Amino acid sequence: MLARRTLGRIAAQPQVLGAAPSGARNMATLREIELRLKSVRNIEKITKSMKMIASTKLAKAQRAMQAGKQYGIANSEVFEHSPAEHSGKRKLFLVISSDKGLCGGIHSSVSKATRRAIADKDVPVEADSPIMVVGDKAKAQLSRALGKNLVLTFNQIGRDIPTFADAAGVADLIMKSGVQYDGITIVYNQFVSAISYESATMEVATEASLKESSGFKAYEMEEDVTKDLAEFSLANAIYATLTESHACEQSARRNAMDNASKNATDMISKLQMQYNRGRQAAITNELVDIITGASAL
Amino acid sequence: MSSATWRTVFTYNKYAQIAARALRQSLKENERVVAEKRGVTILRYQQWENGQGGQQVFLNPPEEKGKSKPAV
Repeated sequence: MLARRTLGRIAAQPQVLGAAPSGARNMATLREIELRLKSVRNIEKITKSMKMIASTKLAKAQRAMQAGKQYGIANSEVFEHSPAEHSGKRKLFLVISSDKGLCGGIHSSVSKATRRAIADKDVPVEADSPIMVVGDKAKAQLSRALGKNLVLTFNQIGRDIPTFADAAGVADLIMKSGVQYDGITIVYNQFVSAISYESATMEVATEASLKESSGFKAYEMEEDVTKDLAEFSLANAIYATLTESHACEQSARRNAMDNASKNATDMISKLQMQYNRGRQAAITNELVDIITGASAL
Repeated sequence: MSSATWRTVFTYNKYAQIAARALRQSLKENERVVAEKRGVTILRYQQWENGQGGQQVFLNPPEEKGKSKPAV
């Protein structure tokens, strides 16, 4: 009779352990934990591979940044020796970010810096200063906060290492747009180290302010050359900031994915513990039922 | 000659890009392939008016082979 009862029982549940109707609550939890465990494992694989990709891209991006920085430094030297006579109030803000997410606080750091600069009381800028944005993420953030100031936005930069062709294209479009400004402020992320970055600004002078500066007036310049210099130095500055921001983005993405993988690993071990405990509890309950059933005879 | 007429048509940056393209195309095959990568740009831009974005425009329109990219 005992054999018939246990046989009947086993026949009733041909499924996996933990599917007993008496432990229905435990079974649902066990299934849930199993599903969660599977999905977190997949996420961990994805974030780990993204971290690997970002690390390799970071090495390349850092080399490009070192090269690009030299352009920016050479650029700034000209402006240091020819300061503007009177600082203009109308600044054009060029915000450098990118189109992709999952890279920590890169885009919001740059958007916040722009909003701070426009709201700054110490160095007042016009409230309707024109803003141009490179990258969809910062464009979305700034269009909510300072939508009226947006003039021109660019995207499809930052997929790969930014080229000088990108920078020249952006510079030309800025020149062609016909926006009035006394100077350009480029807001970008500065590479402090492989694990940290901070937002920074770079000033670029226009042809007009170069012509007026005392340093320039000391020389006899051919008419068109100053215009060429202004255009070329704008492209230079954009190239330097593009490469540096790109390197910051790769490092931030690597750190973010690293943290995500660590968190996922922690979650997996916790869930695994829970699952094992639940499984063992279900087995123990089964055994108890069988044994009490047996002893009741 | 000091009075070059290209200045009325395009900027110095465009002038430099054209010269760079000519130089890249004149390289030997291996070097040319490496250098071409440095001249690639798929830049897209859009004008904004009063908080509203306009149409997305390619700076260098890619050759359309049936599939076209929708404007965001």
